[in-house]
Amino acid sequence: MLKILIPTFMLIPTTWLTPAKWLWPTTLAQSFIIALASLTWLKNLSETGWSCLSTYLATDALSTPLLVLTCWLLPLMILASQKHTALEPVNRQRMYITLLTSLQFFLILAFGATELIMFYVMFEATLIPTLIIITRWGNQTERLNAGTYFLFYTLAGSLPLLVALLLLQNNTGTLSLLTLQYSNPLPLVSYADKLWWAGCLLAFLVKMPLYGVHLWLPKAHVEAPIAGSMVLAAVLLKLGGYGMMRMMIMLEPLTEKLSYPFIIFALWGVIMTGSICLRQTDLKSLIAYSSVSHMGLVAGGILIQTPWGFTGALILMIAHGLTSSALFCLANTNYERTHSRTMILARGLQMVLPLMATWWFIASLANLALPPLPNLMGELMIITSLFSWSWWTLALTGAGTLITAAYSLYMFLMTQRGPLPPHLIALEPTHSREHLLILLHLLPLMLLTLKPELIWGWTA
Amino acid sequence: MNPYIMALLLFGLGLGTTITFASSHWLLAWMGLEINTLAIIPLMAQHHHPRAVEATTKYFLTQATAAAMLLFASTTNAWLTGEWDIQQMSHPLPTTMITLALALKIGLAPMHSWMPEVLQGLDLTTGLILSTWQKLAPFALFLQIHPNNSTILITLGLASTLVGGWGGLNQTQLRKILAYSSIAHLGWMTLVLQFAPSLTLLTLLTYFVMTFSAFLVFKLNKATTVNSLAISWAKTPILTSLAPLILLSLGGLPPLTGFLPKWLILQELTKQGLPLLATFAALTALLSLYFYLRLSYAMTLTMFPNNLAGSAPWRFHSPQLTLPLAVSTATAILTLPLAPAAMALFAP
Amino acid sequence: MTFIMYLVLFSFVLGLVAVASNPSPYFAALGLVVVAGMGCGVLVGHGGPFLSLVLFLIYLGGMLVVFAYSAALAAEPYPETWGSRPVVTYMVVYLAGVVLVSALFWGGWYESSWGSADELGEFSMFRGDMAGVALMYSAGGWMLVISAWVLLLTLFVVLELTRGLSRGALRAV
Repeated sequence: MLKILIPTFMLIPTTWLTPAKWLWPTTLAQSFIIALASLTWLKNLSETGWSCLSTYLATDALSTPLLVLTCWLLPLMILASQKHTALEPVNRQRMYITLLTSLQFFLILAFGATELIMFYVMFEATLIPTLIIITRWGNQTERLNAGTYFLFYTLAGSLPLLVALLLLQNNTGTLSLLTLQYSNPLPLVSYADKLWWAGCLLAFLVKMPLYGVHLWLPKAHVEAPIAGSMVLAAVLLKLGGYGMMRMMIMLEPLTEKLSYPFIIFALWGVIMTGSICLRQTDLKSLIAYSSVSHMGLVAGGILIQTPWGFTGALILMIAHGLTSSALFCLANTNYERTHSRTMILARGLQMVLPLMATWWFIASLANLALPPLPNLMGELMIITSLFSWSWWTLALTGAGTLITAAYSLYMFLMTQRGPLPPHLIALEPTHSREHLLILLHLLPLMLLTLKPELIWGWTA
Repeated sequence: MNPYIMALLLFGLGLGTTITFASSHWLLAWMGLEINTLAIIPLMAQHHHPRAVEATTKYFLTQATAAAMLLFASTTNAWLTGEWDIQQMSHPLPTTMITLALALKIGLAPMHSWMPEVLQGLDLTTGLILSTWQKLAPFALFLQIHPNNSTILITLGLASTLVGGWGGLNQTQLRKILAYSSIAHLGWMTLVLQFAPSLTLLTLLTYFVMTFSAFLVFKLNKATTVNSLAISWAKTPILTSLAPLILLSLGGLPPLTGFLPKWLILQELTKQGLPLLATFAALTALLSLYFYLRLSYAMTLTMFPNNLAGSAPWRFHSPQLTLPLAVSTATAILTLPLAPAAMALFAP
Repeated sequence: MTFIMYLVLFSFVLGLVAVASNPSPYFAALGLVVVAGMGCGVLVGHGGPFLSLVLFLIYLGGMLVVFAYSAALAAEPYPETWGSRPVVTYMVVYLAGVVLVSALFWGGWYESSWGSADELGEFSMFRGDMAGVALMYSAGGWMLVISAWVLLLTLFVVLELTRGLSRGALRAV
């Protein structure tokens, strides 16, 4: 782990010591080297499932894909942020990169932690850099409101989690993920135990976000600068899913009954947020709501607690991370040219930016889960496991898939097809930086089609 | 003020706290508290404007009331049990009275309303003394009498965290915000006082470090309202970027230092079988966090437009000493990883 | 004796109420003087003449100065006196409070003497309270030093607060 952590930390001195001219190339190169080095985690030969063990950190089949995704995202964020920070003083650019780096540092510690409390601390630690990125580098004044929503939704959910974890520590004597599953099962019978169950999951359901507690997410996404949107969609939401999968072991006898309303809520949310997407005028808001919809499916897959459900959830998390991040990057290329997120104002872009239209096409197809992409694999596994639980879920998941396809198409047609409005004639051409950025999102996604066992976790 | 008199008064401040620390007899402890109060009064009123004099008068009245109540309670104790020793409090009546008197002295929630008013009238240095050094002596007594009336302590603590969060929400005055933050922190200390006094001490010291940095940041910026913080980026750019971390540390957000005492207190409360109280106390911290966040917004996360001349002050060398601020800021932000060392230091 | 104690205690309470309910400094300070005197009376009645003498001399001397000073500073031509309505209202409320509280503790009061005579000779007596004071002077030397220091500090505090003709912190407005 330290092989990755120390270079990540040393990115901060690199950022502050390189001359201004070489700032972006150097940090990009170093973060790319880190990302490539992190790929070695994928080779997991140990029988227990845990590898790279140290005193506090380890990787296993569940955390490895998320860790690699985290490391992969940092160079992409650096690549995506060059344009909109170019006009700022160089120290502020350095500060921005430092924040992104610290975010990766905390995320690696969160996903790699073997102690639930350490996971919790790092889970919360990601809030501060994200908050500063959103509220300092966002564009509109609503960003302050978005930052408040982001912080308070997450904290209101996660402070009960802290108390719940401390209670668990008092009962079992350990919070180590390595030994927790072997401790004596808790006698969860009383009413207070049900509250404890809710406390354990609520933080992650808010972070995920579950429909009903999702209002912070579209705000944060819409107001954040591009790097903030990317990391929020690609990795930070996944902290919720990851934490839920880790906690599920301890909650065993209660989850069977208590999870019903949450599953229904999650699936209902898939349909509701999909319908919201259908009448959305704001491009980033549309992508954000589509994230809520996909994560609802993930929540359903985790709460159903079957091996297929877990596998599907993990695959969908990784695939959705890459896809939604790519979509945000594409939306940002529009935003940097038209300075508006409104879809009506930026139509028919296929005419002026044809290669971009290709990327839009692939990303939209990935978003609606086209075979053989991993998105489909994840959705299919989740839908199957839900179907084997209750036939009626098929109505919800089926309608949800249909709506997803509909709004993905709506998004693609709205932005790319049709005549070009006259005010968009003198657009700046696309840069190879932007093409590289999208390619580095979509290439791993497509290559994962060939070797999905890298991201399907413990089972299957 | 004449430097000799200043030295005399500061020496008096130190002497009062030391006497209270060192005494085992109630009379001496009371004397120390009175010396403390007496010595800070000219410091508070040194700028002879009506606001400061008003604050001084309010402070004097509340502290005199509290001290008189303390003396009365300890006399009652001697009457009832024949014992003047601080650590031998056995009768519940004087113990409760002393608890309430000390709560008035440090400004716990139902008796808190003097605190923001007084702090608002002072300059930042005296305010810093008032909200740090002046809390030491009452807390020394608090830790020695082992108050065991859990209803009163928990009511005081929870009310303080609530009021401390609630009162600060609508404030634009920095000193009032800091006063409410002090009330909230003292509430946390009171919550855990009967279970783990060492944690109270740890919380008190981390609070001192954080509030010291906060006061010094405001002092360096010469800011007393939220509005005047908005141009701090032109005066001290690096400090401006560190200030939200200090403030969020006061709010208790991990991975900053301020999370440590909150974490340990929550752990102690759950260990004592009070998870509901722990959850409630944790959620009241969100109220405080809101105004710290507002301060961060005003100071760092938005940039107030300024004309060209107005954005230059950072180029001038500031005559103020910045080393204490640097040390305390680093401590206020970065010491969460030292949690085991801190716990070992304060272990009973 | 009982009658005198009752009288003294009643005047004591009345003096306290007078301090609490009178807005004008004349009567408030007068009330304080009465309270101090009657407090000394209570002490004598319970057998502590030495302490009460000390209190009477020192405290009353100081109080007289305060009385004269405050009367001179805040001389109002038409002060609110005993007969005026707010004062009477306050007094009634306070007295009712005192009666209520004293009703709770009525059985607990009894006449006793806590002063003890340590050595009795032919024509001489060595009283306990005097011995205590002497002990404090002989054994608590450092206490004495601290007390002297505190007096000095108090002097400086008062001077610092009242310094200056018109710009002192406390002044006659």
